[in-house]
Amino acid sequence: MGKFVFRRILASLLVLWLAVSLLFGMIRMVPGDPASVMLGPKATPALKAELAQRMGLDRPLVVQLGMFYAGLARGDLGVDPFSNREVSDIVFEQLPFTLALVLAAIGGASLLGIPLGCFSAIRRNSLLDRLTGVMSVAFIAIPSFVVALYLLLWLAVKWRWFPAMGAGEAGNYPDQARHLVLPAIALGLGWVGYIARLVRASMLEVMEENHIRTARAFGLPERTVVVSYALRIALLPTVTILGLGIGSMLSGALFAEIVFSRPGIGKLLYEAVLSRNYPVVMGSVLATTGFFVLCTLIADTVNAVLDPRLRESPGN
Amino acid sequence: MKKKVHLQPPDHARRAFLKRSSLALIGLAGGGLPGFCGADRGGVLHIRNYMDVSSLDPVSTVSAAEGLILGAICQNLLRFRTDGSWGTQLDAAEWFEQTDPTHYEFRLKPGQTFTNGYGEMTADDVKFSFERLVDPAMAAINAPDMGPLSHVEVHDRYSGTFVLRSPYAAFAPIAVAGPSGAILSRAAVTAVGGRFTTQPPCSSGPYSFKSWQAQRKTVVERNPDWTGAEAPFSEIHIYAMPDDKAAEMAYEAGQLDCAQISVETVGPFEKDMPPHSSLRVLPSARNFWLGMNRENSALADIRVRRAIQYGVDVEAVVEAGWFGLAAVSNGPIPEGMTGHRDKALIPPRGDPDRARALLEEAGVALPLRLRLDVINKARDVTAAQVIQWSLRKVGIEVDIHAQDGGTFLTIGRQDLGDQWRDIQLFTQDFVGMADPYYSMTWFISKQMGLWNWERFNNEEFDRLNDLALETGDEAERGRIYRRMQDLMEESGCYRFLTNGAMPVIVRTSIKPAFRPDGYALFRDFRPFWNPA
Repeated sequence: MGKFVFRRILASLLVLWLAVSLLFGMIRMVPGDPASVMLGPKATPALKAELAQRMGLDRPLVVQLGMFYAGLARGDLGVDPFSNREVSDIVFEQLPFTLALVLAAIGGASLLGIPLGCFSAIRRNSLLDRLTGVMSVAFIAIPSFVVALYLLLWLAVKWRWFPAMGAGEAGNYPDQARHLVLPAIALGLGWVGYIARLVRASMLEVMEENHIRTARAFGLPERTVVVSYALRIALLPTVTILGLGIGSMLSGALFAEIVFSRPGIGKLLYEAVLSRNYPVVMGSVLATTGFFVLCTLIADTVNAVLDPRLRESPGN
Repeated sequence: MKKKVHLQPPDHARRAFLKRSSLALIGLAGGGLPGFCGADRGGVLHIRNYMDVSSLDPVSTVSAAEGLILGAICQNLLRFRTDGSWGTQLDAAEWFEQTDPTHYEFRLKPGQTFTNGYGEMTADDVKFSFERLVDPAMAAINAPDMGPLSHVEVHDRYSGTFVLRSPYAAFAPIAVAGPSGAILSRAAVTAVGGRFTTQPPCSSGPYSFKSWQAQRKTVVERNPDWTGAEAPFSEIHIYAMPDDKAAEMAYEAGQLDCAQISVETVGPFEKDMPPHSSLRVLPSARNFWLGMNRENSALADIRVRRAIQYGVDVEAVVEAGWFGLAAVSNGPIPEGMTGHRDKALIPPRGDPDRARALLEEAGVALPLRLRLDVINKARDVTAAQVIQWSLRKVGIEVDIHAQDGGTFLTIGRQDLGDQWRDIQLFTQDFVGMADPYYSMTWFISKQMGLWNWERFNNEEFDRLNDLALETGDEAERGRIYRRMQDLMEESGCYRFLTNGAMPVIVRTSIKPAFRPDGYALFRDFRPFWNPA
């Protein structure tokens, strides 16, 4: 198992390096001048030159990339050229908001989707199964931003049950949780349907397998057969998808952060790209990519724990 | 490995979990019920700012959004009037006057203090605050606001003289009353290393800085050391909300007391006004125009450029892009400011017959195909589509190239390659400041390839731009700036579209205050029962 995890960590670092290097090149290939965007007419030639020198933009791209990794090795992500604040401070004060949102969304979606899928599989072709099927497809089909807008209009604007903006007062956790409800539902609702369909399909397949028949033949209670034997195997593809789903939610978090005026890494990255604030772009990309890679690593490891065949296969 | 099999799963645990979860959900939902009310939540004002704060140090503020907050927590010698007209009034200064074209004298009101124990405001603090902006070592982003400021001479504890290297008529409105002229305590700034970002070491206004949370809000609170009339709100929460729609919904949800909204929402709000609200459409000091690159071969002939000027129906552009809320523009200088023109040389609706005649006279083969570069904002693209429709009527086919702001701002730059040669038509949008100088100086010949993408090059214009800065007489300055706008229009390089509009929605329980360009003066907001 240790060897498996070690190999996976190496592969993850490689993915991280590749993704960050590619994005580094891409963002700089897009035409743009940070000084002009941020300062408008106040961006005098002298100021532009000074800013370019401070950001290292007057050097070849490879040198800039080298400087970025050298800084990274020292734990230094650079300085925002406009506010003069450390990029790591800027990124890490926003990251928790996005992580909380993504984890709440994926956690909520799993808590609802897994039991729903499981129940549909056990009560196959029942009214509830059909109802779950219809609702799951509907949840998947409705774009998240539509859900977000209607939740906002009904639950925040019309009925005022939940706040319409912000992330709650610092240090006031119940307030922060209340601010998390609508964005998390908007972001995670589609995933409820997706997870339910996935779990149902996997469960139906697993329930037909010999070891399930054997367990039943031994007289084990149905609940034990379902939860301890069938669901454990059926969850394997779901765990992988959840790992990837976090990546998709990180990008989806942007619209929730904009619609609900929440702070977060998505909004930070979006605004940094528009203003060509390269140090902040790279800091945000590194944080989100790192988090995504970490999630897939965890998903792979959990899969290997659940299914020993995975860690023993020659490819691993 | 021994596997654990639950022959009798612990059902009580599941029930307990469900019970706890249900209670938690009810608690969360229920907790959300109170707390959202209107304008007078314990004397706290909730207001939108259009973007987040990057720095509150006058040396490095990058947007008007920061200036608005500085205006609440710091005093300047002068500040803008609150009656909606351009002009200044005394703030920290007991008096302020220009003694000759390059000298301005001031005297501070005694007894004004900085917060956090930094003592009384003195003329030395004024000297420090202004000279750090022109200190080359500071590489201040806002150094241009100071113009030709050389230094400040301190006469005694409260009085001093600003010494300029050359006349600068915009000194009072831009350098002294603008955000760059906020007075800081020398001791406080020195104690934090000479510069700061989002944590000002002291305040001196009716409100003092309390906290800043990135991408969320800035909170200012009533300054107990303030010697003037007590600030009417115990706190002002200033939310960073770049998205208009999000701000509109937050207002409707009762979480904001005042918000700038988008022009397209004014109509729906007028039909179905949120409770206890009033809507104002304030003017703006923006300059939105159609530019033409006279050094591009297709536009080298002035008759072609004039034909485009006559071909564009400005009224239709403004009606579509600004929903009819903004007035058509007569030039970069907005209404109410020195130098504003009452009308443009070319009528707003244009003259398609004249345009066709000019094209024929120039011997242009029709249809003439031109490119129009715009920023990919809905308003700009809509305006571009109406320009496209207008010009099609006179035989000009326009291809719209929409691009993001970061890319767009490079297309006319000469230092970034030769792409400036290829640009033909473009719509551009500049934000003005409190003096006509700031609206006009970007079009001088020295700005060619920087911000003057039209490559407009006129010796008289350059000379008048310098002269206007040296002229103290406002009437004469007005004549100069009107002539400069005529020259711009006569060159065929510009079709002025609008100075924009700034719609704002506000609770009826609040008496707001705005600058003539629509920006909020936070420190002058009052509850309706406190008109003082």
